[in-house]
Amino acid sequence: MSQTRFAVLMMAPALLFLAVMVAYPILLLIDNSFYHVELLKPAARTWLDLDNYIKVLTSQRLADAALRTGRYTVFALFFELVFGIVAAVFFDALGARSRWHRTVFALPLMVSPIVAGILWRFLLIDQVGIINYGLAALHLIPDPRAVSWLGNPDIVLYAVSFPDIWLTTSFVALIVFAGLQNIPRDVIEAARIDGASAVQRFLRVRLPLLRPVLAVVLIVRGVDAAKTFDLIWIQTEGGPNFQSEVLSMNIYQRMIRYGDVGQASATATVFLAAMVVLAVLAYRFIWGRSRNV
Amino acid sequence: MHAKSLLGASALALSLAAGPVLAADTINVLVEAGGHSLQQPIADQFTKDTGIKVNFVEVPYAGVYDKLSAELAAGTSNYDVATIDVIWMAKFADFAEPLDSLFTDKLKADLAPALLADSQVKGKWVGMPEWANADILFYRKDLFSDPKQQAAFKAKYGYELAPPTNWKQFEDAAVFFTQDTNGDGKPDLYGTDVIGANPEEWMAEVLQAGSPGVVLDDKGNVIIDNAAHLKALQFYTDILCKDHAAPEGATQVDWGAAQNMFYQGQTAMMKFWAHAYRQTPADSVVAGKVGAAPMIAGDAGIAAIPGPWYNIVPSTSQHKDEAKKFIAYAFEHNALGIQAPLGLAASNAAYLSYEDKPGYEHFKPLLETLAAPATKGRPLVPQWQEIVDQAVTPMLQQALSCKADLPTLLKNAKTAIQGILQ
Repeated sequence: MSQTRFAVLMMAPALLFLAVMVAYPILLLIDNSFYHVELLKPAARTWLDLDNYIKVLTSQRLADAALRTGRYTVFALFFELVFGIVAAVFFDALGARSRWHRTVFALPLMVSPIVAGILWRFLLIDQVGIINYGLAALHLIPDPRAVSWLGNPDIVLYAVSFPDIWLTTSFVALIVFAGLQNIPRDVIEAARIDGASAVQRFLRVRLPLLRPVLAVVLIVRGVDAAKTFDLIWIQTEGGPNFQSEVLSMNIYQRMIRYGDVGQASATATVFLAAMVVLAVLAYRFIWGRSRNV
Repeated sequence: MHAKSLLGASALALSLAAGPVLAADTINVLVEAGGHSLQQPIADQFTKDTGIKVNFVEVPYAGVYDKLSAELAAGTSNYDVATIDVIWMAKFADFAEPLDSLFTDKLKADLAPALLADSQVKGKWVGMPEWANADILFYRKDLFSDPKQQAAFKAKYGYELAPPTNWKQFEDAAVFFTQDTNGDGKPDLYGTDVIGANPEEWMAEVLQAGSPGVVLDDKGNVIIDNAAHLKALQFYTDILCKDHAAPEGATQVDWGAAQNMFYQGQTAMMKFWAHAYRQTPADSVVAGKVGAAPMIAGDAGIAAIPGPWYNIVPSTSQHKDEAKKFIAYAFEHNALGIQAPLGLAASNAAYLSYEDKPGYEHFKPLLETLAAPATKGRPLVPQWQEIVDQAVTPMLQQALSCKADLPTLLKNAKTAIQGILQ
């Protein structure tokens, strides 16, 4: 058996799995997006040409939801990266002594998003939210009803991202920590001997060497945050007045609650294409450049 | 001889293949948690009496809709009975076996008119009510019977303090009980709550104001901008925006939050689903102090939106006869489920058998509210969920921002609903 044939044979199970579990559903999704399909009557399909796509691309509601998805992703990702990197640097500085810190820090990762959503909903909700009572006790706000985290249309999108940040900062921290551990100590030592300060060593040596790790974090967490559904749904169901509605929520409602498979598929296809493009760009921009470092 | 044997064997095979489906010894019932606990005692008795076992498949609330939809779309279903929320009746009506034979005159006489009306979609009896709920008025007995409060109320409003029965009394009591009890200059007791995440409390007031229906009339015309809807929206928002008799942040207040506030002693009254009467936590500051009264009345009298759940037989069921037998039995023995945590039933007889028992004081107000002439179910149209999500709830939340022009909001909602129905 030739080496190529052996390689193909070894890859065949994985390829078969991908074909059945990934490629086929995606092709089905794209196919459905050209039809009017009702969830309860999938056999009665009507060909619509590009009507579903025209509706999706001209809908102000979907454009708003897409914009909110972007804002939510950037906000959540920014704080997850900042907090995660700070925590990772702290763990790295502690060395082996950070074992317990890392374990405790990773605990939110074990919490299901649904549970986290409910937990934060009750932490933030105006009338009974503990957060506001805490802030009022610290005199940061005048009284517990001063900030309406989930009711104020101007801040609700950011408030619903708190549990996302809480849940996944530890994931970012652990990945970045692993990346920091892999940076050769002699490189850092050389920078130190050359007179680089701690900040310079971090910004000029460690951060550039972390680029591949950050690329993975950005792509994995970015895609994950962009398709967040359960966390927001549990807290606000997209309200008030759609101000926390993101694309995945719109797709869910249209597909499951309203049974409009065709238009939901078109929205999902556009969403998928956008995510692929963004992931490729992120990969090329960050990882591609890291090869030259 | 050989040919005859072959013919005989073929006939036997055909008769086996085309013969009736064998009687089931087990039927599968799709249900959410509350409905499971209500129906389990009935199912146990049913199994004893008929030998047919009942296997409940319990899923979360939304799972009932999701699972049943998926199975019906696939054309095969393991479920012989599905217990569904009334708001899904129109969606599943085309996929449900008719239950006409079960709706005898005796049975019809044992149901509130609104529940009976919701059992039919396009003239076909689709579902049998298994339990029914409606908003009634919960109030703090300790506050309403406090002599100091009574005297202060009479001095201010000129009539005796009592659980309100109409809009005027409700508004007066809500304003009166909004009190600063600890002297910090801010109210820490509110008269009531205003729910912005679910529109049913507002819809009840629409019926109380005399609208022939909520959002749509019986012919399917969009009537969300009629005078009664506007009057109800004005009254609903006034409690928050004009009277400040409810906590701020109403847009995010849903049923859970409203219940929490009442149990924490933050509100003196709550318009809420009747089942909550038996769910006051023992460690709540209001435990043992909760009273129940019928829903308040507007120009058209008492009215509420019923929240019934119905048993249907999916057309894909393999054991339709046994399923219908269970459904009929469940209604006939409806009272068996009342001891369950949800503590509800559908038939008048079941409620009446408990109304004088201690701990079930809410049944009389519930029955009175359900039987009120103006009480009416939500429109049975397949797009109802979309109408609520996309037009009604957002409109209500904008109204509760206290900045919007209410007639314009209703007009915009009408346009949005007409778009959904097209």
